[in-house]
Amino acid sequence: MDISQILANSLVRGAELSLLAIGLTMVYDILKFANFSHPDYAILGAFLAYLFKQTIGLNLFVSVILAAFITGIVGICIDKVIFKRLRIMGAKPVTLMITSLGIAIALRNILRLIWTSHTKTYGMPLRKPIEILGARVTPLQIGIISVCLISMIAFHLILHRTKFGKALRAISDNRELASACAIDSEKMIKWMWFLASSYAAIGGSMIAMEHLLYPRLGFDIIIPVFCAAILGGIGNPYGAMLGALTLALAENIVLALDFGFLVNLGGLFEVGSIQISTGYKPAISFVILIIVLILKPTGILRKK
Amino acid sequence: MNNSMLTITNLQKNFGSLKALDRVSLEVESDSIVGLIGPNGSGKTTLFNVVSGFYEKDGGEIYFKGERIDGLTPDKIAKKGLCRTFQVSKAPEKLTVLENMMLAAKSQVGENPFSAVFMRPRVHKSEKSNLNRAMDLLEMLQLTDLKNEYTSDLSGGQKKLLSLGRVFMLDSDLILLDEPTAGVNLTLIMELLKVIRELQKKEHKSFFIIEHSMKVISDICDKVYVLNFGRKMAEGTPEEIQQNEQVLKAYLSGA
Amino acid sequence: MPIINFLIYLLTMIGIYSLLAMSLNLQVGFTGLINFGHVAFFCIGAYTASLLVVKAGAPIIIGFLGGMALSGLLGYLMSIPTKSLKSDYWAIATLASGEVVRLIALNEGWLTAGPFGVMSIPQPLEWLFSKDTYPLFYLLLVIACMVIVYFFLSLLTNSPFGRNLKTIRDEEELCLSLGKDTQKLKLQAMVVAGMVAGLAGALFAFYITYISPENFKPIETFLIWAMIIVGGRGNHLGAIVGAVVIQLFNVSTRFIGGYLPFGADFMASLRMVIIGLLIILFLLYRPEGLAKEGKKVYDLKSRDVG
Repeated sequence: MDISQILANSLVRGAELSLLAIGLTMVYDILKFANFSHPDYAILGAFLAYLFKQTIGLNLFVSVILAAFITGIVGICIDKVIFKRLRIMGAKPVTLMITSLGIAIALRNILRLIWTSHTKTYGMPLRKPIEILGARVTPLQIGIISVCLISMIAFHLILHRTKFGKALRAISDNRELASACAIDSEKMIKWMWFLASSYAAIGGSMIAMEHLLYPRLGFDIIIPVFCAAILGGIGNPYGAMLGALTLALAENIVLALDFGFLVNLGGLFEVGSIQISTGYKPAISFVILIIVLILKPTGILRKK
Repeated sequence: MNNSMLTITNLQKNFGSLKALDRVSLEVESDSIVGLIGPNGSGKTTLFNVVSGFYEKDGGEIYFKGERIDGLTPDKIAKKGLCRTFQVSKAPEKLTVLENMMLAAKSQVGENPFSAVFMRPRVHKSEKSNLNRAMDLLEMLQLTDLKNEYTSDLSGGQKKLLSLGRVFMLDSDLILLDEPTAGVNLTLIMELLKVIRELQKKEHKSFFIIEHSMKVISDICDKVYVLNFGRKMAEGTPEEIQQNEQVLKAYLSGA
Repeated sequence: MPIINFLIYLLTMIGIYSLLAMSLNLQVGFTGLINFGHVAFFCIGAYTASLLVVKAGAPIIIGFLGGMALSGLLGYLMSIPTKSLKSDYWAIATLASGEVVRLIALNEGWLTAGPFGVMSIPQPLEWLFSKDTYPLFYLLLVIACMVIVYFFLSLLTNSPFGRNLKTIRDEEELCLSLGKDTQKLKLQAMVVAGMVAGLAGALFAFYITYISPENFKPIETFLIWAMIIVGGRGNHLGAIVGAVVIQLFNVSTRFIGGYLPFGADFMASLRMVIIGLLIILFLLYRPEGLAKEGKKVYDLKSRDVG
């Protein structure tokens, strides 16, 4: 596998993961807990998009937008019914984290109840891959990268050009100061959940579109998403994007590397090809995560 | 250095560009009670945090009983005989007052899994003797009736008293007290000061006390250090400090 | 009689799971260590025990001891990152560890036979009993282990060591300031917890006689979490109660499923939805669980009260 292909694959995967990582890092920063159900919001969105497109027959674009909107509302509702109550009770962040695990289990299995464990596809037409700079990308992948790029830009604009975005950054920097300035935290938190959840839904749809859709997908991507968010520094959405890209690159490079070749270079031994089997792909993000956490728990990019 | 319990030289602690401690040097001699005062934010608690090992220093040296302790973890420093209380008293939710006292006991049997399970008679014996000491201290602190209450159910002042009880159980040589009298009623304060003086005289313990009440300071402190904006502003006896113009100005403007 | 056989099976599984729940409780309920990869201990215990016997030909008792030892070692390894990682980062890392262990079992076929699993695991003292009475013997073995572990853990936590663990859970800085090496304490707690869960793994392997990576999916960790949240953290009896409740629920819904017009997949998902909801509801409305954490009251009878 050559470099340009690795880059292309990483760009796609990084783009998908970043849409989830942004929301995760935002919630982690503002509400101070790791939301283990975040990837499952993404897959909820993916299933909703599937419902609208494959079952009802709407246009792909409309399906994803609708799914994102509904997932955003779901995010607000779950906060109102569960997390907000815990916040009022004065629950420790750890309790919120454990509760989010319960939500993840429930959500994942509600999806399984409705749609069964059988994998689904979006019925995307098979198109010939295009060659760009030595790498082969399908039009779908180009579409995914474009969607993510547009979403990223939109996110940046929201964060810097809207009142909500300014308030969000204020709360992120200093919660007490923000409430002293009469920023309505609770209202902001609602909007934050909407943003985080809808973006996750878009990302989830992209991931499912490129591969397959099944309820357990949420769990399968949880570690890469967390890794991306932590790599970029909790609270730094731009870091999350970079972290997602870095992680995707690392995953693809490690899988492509022939360690036997490297050992042979040393000249001491003659070994055959040693490659890490793709079965270990989830483990790669885990190892990267551990390395990052040991070396720099605050992530690679400093919080802004 | 011979009769110095604690010697701090040019201690530096920065938080980003903020110099919380700026080349602070001071000394606590053996068998003495030293006070540490200063306006809010002058670095007093930060000093305690660095000395007790909870914060890492950015420069300077800390000697305890002639030995360098900067860079050690808090538990190792406590084991060497230097302990501290916290400005906001720690109150473990599901431990009772008596359990807190037992927790702090200096020598315990059964603190690892093997001895906890397989050396029950020795554990029982050590617990019993620690229990006696704990109850004596609780009586002195007038907390006996609360012995089976959860720490989180205590009032602020009661939690302060319990912190004192814990460090007394620990039997350290140097005890750092962070605002020990805040929220405690007056008669009890007088009692506490008596106990502190006694512990110093009879058991040769040293105390380093952060306080806001000049009355307490002048009552028991042999020497006082004044911090302001992370720097040592003045030092001397309580009388000297109370007449120091700089100190008065700092308190009036900065407090 | 099939009903008796089924009851024996149910009780045996409850016994095994209560060991797993007590182990997780020691980490979470007593020490405040949020372990989302608990299944890893179960997996290592089961695989080590069975592979030692099936592949290396070791006697079964060595299988048990080996399973417990290796799980204890894993506990040691998992405790090392607690020094530099905050509790939520560590939780994420444990989630990943659980999956990595399963992936190794799945991919390293030369050792573990990969997806095919370890088969024909012999059973302890099977020559001593007839085919009908053996399950009863095994149930008694499991109950004996459960009782011994219960008393062992109770002694453990009702001691200065247990006191230190609870302080780590509630106020770790205080614990440090009183001279306790919290890192070492966490290590010891994790090793003990690992060994107990490893014992459960070995008991499981020798009971079921066939294990594969399928038995050690993340769902197991979630089930055991539900057990300690429903049963009660900080209370060994609570762990057992939780194991009973969740296992009964699990098994009874399998029965009811037979009478309802829904497929097995549907029932399985419904079960897990309810498990998730139970976790949420208990944390919202009854965080201490069914069996509350007991308050320690010292015996002062021998003291002269002045």
